[in-house]
Amino acid sequence: MSDLVLIIPELVLAGTALALILSARRIQRTPVAAIGTVLAAIAAAVISGLLLSRGSKIGFGGMIALDGYSQFFKVLIGATLAVVALLSVNSFGEERAMRVEYHILLLLASTGMMLAVSAHDLLPLYLSLELMTLCSQILVGIRVESPASNEAGVKYFLLGSFASALLIYGISLTYGITGTTDFAGIASAVSQHSAANNLLLVIAIGLVAAGLAFKIAAVPLHTWAPDAYQGASTPIAAFLASGSKAVGLAVFGRVCLAAYGSQAHTLSVILETLAGLSIVVGSIVALSQTDMKRLLAYSSIAHAGYALLGLIGGAPAGASATMTYAFFYTFMTLGAFGVVAALGKRGEQLEGYRGLAAQRPGTAMLMLLFLVSLTGIPPTAGFTAKFGVILSVVRAGHIPLAVLAVACSVVSAFFYMRVVVLMYMNGPEEPEPSGLPAPVFAGLAVAALVTVIGGIAPGSLAPWAVSP
Amino acid sequence: MTAYPVLTATTFLPLVGAVLLLSFGSERLARWIALTTTVATLAVSTPLYWNFDKSSNALQFVESAAWIPSLNISYSMGVDGISLPFILLASILSILCVGASWTAIQTRVPEFYAALLVVETAMIGVFAATNLLLFFVFWELMLVPMFLLIGIWGGPGRVFASVKFLIFTLSGSVLMLVGIIAIYRACDTLDFQGLALGKASLPPAQQVWLFAGFLAAFAVKVPMFPLHTWLPNAHTEAPTAGSVILAGILLKMGAYGFLRVSIPILPYGVQFFLMPMLVVSAVAIIYGAYVTLVQTDVKRLIAFSSVSHMGFVTLGIFTLTRSGVEGAVLQMINHGIVSAALFLCVGMIYERTHTREIKDYGGVARMAPVYSTLLALFCLAAAGTPGLNSFVGEFLIIGGAFQRHVWLGAAAVWGVALGTTYMIWLYYRVVMGKVNPTLWGLRLELNAREVATLAPLALLVLYLGVYPESVLSYLRTPLDRLLAGFTP
Repeated sequence: MSDLVLIIPELVLAGTALALILSARRIQRTPVAAIGTVLAAIAAAVISGLLLSRGSKIGFGGMIALDGYSQFFKVLIGATLAVVALLSVNSFGEERAMRVEYHILLLLASTGMMLAVSAHDLLPLYLSLELMTLCSQILVGIRVESPASNEAGVKYFLLGSFASALLIYGISLTYGITGTTDFAGIASAVSQHSAANNLLLVIAIGLVAAGLAFKIAAVPLHTWAPDAYQGASTPIAAFLASGSKAVGLAVFGRVCLAAYGSQAHTLSVILETLAGLSIVVGSIVALSQTDMKRLLAYSSIAHAGYALLGLIGGAPAGASATMTYAFFYTFMTLGAFGVVAALGKRGEQLEGYRGLAAQRPGTAMLMLLFLVSLTGIPPTAGFTAKFGVILSVVRAGHIPLAVLAVACSVVSAFFYMRVVVLMYMNGPEEPEPSGLPAPVFAGLAVAALVTVIGGIAPGSLAPWAVSP
Repeated sequence: MTAYPVLTATTFLPLVGAVLLLSFGSERLARWIALTTTVATLAVSTPLYWNFDKSSNALQFVESAAWIPSLNISYSMGVDGISLPFILLASILSILCVGASWTAIQTRVPEFYAALLVVETAMIGVFAATNLLLFFVFWELMLVPMFLLIGIWGGPGRVFASVKFLIFTLSGSVLMLVGIIAIYRACDTLDFQGLALGKASLPPAQQVWLFAGFLAAFAVKVPMFPLHTWLPNAHTEAPTAGSVILAGILLKMGAYGFLRVSIPILPYGVQFFLMPMLVVSAVAIIYGAYVTLVQTDVKRLIAFSSVSHMGFVTLGIFTLTRSGVEGAVLQMINHGIVSAALFLCVGMIYERTHTREIKDYGGVARMAPVYSTLLALFCLAAAGTPGLNSFVGEFLIIGGAFQRHVWLGAAAVWGVALGTTYMIWLYYRVVMGKVNPTLWGLRLELNAREVATLAPLALLVLYLGVYPESVLSYLRTPLDRLLAGFTP
């Protein structure tokens, strides 16, 4: 019974989802579902924050851990869910009927996310990731009358199944080698092996890494992301780009450090490849995009690469840098997607930003803030995040990789600033968009606040960003 | 010493003004808010000049607070004799920029002044920071507002110019960031003083790489040949205030970086790159001057002359001689004053004629005697006329260059000769001769606000020309410390 304490935030979210399912018919045309989701998300985040100070525990037969690492990400997931639910207010037009289902799926996906970051065993890890992914896949395709949305959902589902197969194959190989799926057990069994004499172990690690690379959309397993983001409604794209990616990174970090930590060389080669490719491909391909969501998708691919940089050295300080990166990245991405969502149809095309600053100075300034932060220019949270991961790469002795990473951030400045040029340095052509609804404004304000505070007081997060 | 933290107040007051502007600035109110803020900033900074002890070897007005405790990086500010004059120059030029934009900027006025004030915070912050990371944050803080200043309120080619400026500057500064991180990893501190003491822990090979990383950032900002190509675009397209800030302060940040970071922290790297730096500087002087000669656009001409004049600065710094470095710092101040004044002059007449082509001018003296007199003063100053401010700096630099190598001195002298040529020729074509028919019917003479904008610079030109000691006296002690490890 006392083990249930470990998963109170998950229970809150799942309970709310069940309550919504039971009352779905009655509240279909009311904002109850949205309000309930936001409240549940905030409650889950607050509870996670409170549990943070309770010390670490492992329960459910060693499968679920409560430690600083998991609670940190649970707070982040709760906040993400709340912001996404706020941003969603704008995006129900004709598909009003789906409102309750939409929120139920968001809640269940978040439950999966929270379980995934606290999993201390490969099997619950896999199951919770699947819960997250399946719900996300339905959410991507939920705009039933939109062929683009359906196509994106199917693509995401097929590729996602493939990646899940890789992950579960990696897990089964690991089980074959070590005889356990528990992280602590794997760690002690794996340390007996060296990569040179156990090719199977290398393959197992590679497959697990591939499965997780899909979740964070790292190159070469990134191809689903641009299509899925483009087809999905904008808040869902935000949810995938921020929440899913943060969870993928959290899991990546825990698996790298807690389970396969002794295979430092193999991990370092895999991570360097994933990070380097993601940064380069994401930054360069983003240059030619004309659809805002595709542009942000490629930018998020590049950011997955940056975030992985922290894990390369295999040091706890590096994992903390990745945590910080995931945290700040989540909010700036939510902010950027939030502006896209706030602008509706107009916001989805790059051209739609032409002259925005003259029409809507406030919205344009928020977008400017998020784009500057995504570029990694101080004093914004994006710089704090980038500083941390590059510091850990330099500490690990990979100076060329650090130079490559910062060089690509110049490339990324080019496409982020293209949006700024359109907003600020061109006259308006489109009619003025309508004002921001209060919930969307609230969501954007939270994102902006974190982005600014993270830049001015970079130390504000450090006490909580502790590696597993 | 004083009742409030002077440096922090001076640095962040403009930022407060910018926030105010964005919150409540109506178009009419915005100009007054901006003017009040810049004047208040200068007023707040006055204790710096009264209470500064020129003989002290230590940093003064030191402030320190924990900033990123987990990395042991502190928010630390302080000034010495090298940075103090630049803080004064930045706060004066900001006031003049507000004045110069009073009627020239008619669109999105509050945002314009907000961007200008953020730039002021960044400029003062760069010179006041004594922690490498803080220095970098201020350095980069400048980037986006400057990009917007050029791109929104600039001339016809503004978008290209602003993006080019952004990409060049960012490319340099990200390499500096890797350098900063590498230094942090080796020394575990980023305080300038701690680093200058801990330089023994940086092995020579690493210093060479680090110097190259910082060079990327500083050389773009200065700009040194061949990384100067963003400058003519940016200066030409920027609104007057933007050009003034660029020429007056921004370019100096690069040279200041050499003095504050490269020379004290990476002495071996400096020695290693000494010859290439000297040669590139000499090339910049000569090449910049020749390119200036053939320009047909007034603003572009002044922009290219900056390449040549900043060549003098880097030449002076890398002679590593007493007289060269003294001259370089003085030349930085002088060029800040003179080029800012020249851009202001061009901006004022452009507001009336809406052309920057030299061939559209001629005979301005007959129509605007006061303007022509002031322009004559600034052109002569830029040409290095004895008795005006630039002469002393160039003279000291040339002295330092001759100590280093006779050919460097010869190149510098040749540069001065060319400088006189292009400035006098510019003046001749614009001001002398018959009145150009395109100017008929225009009221070219300056109004009281414009005269008031130029007057402080004119006085500084004369004052520093006859009494350069007023700046040089600040430099003695810090330069003794800076050059202690080097023998000329």
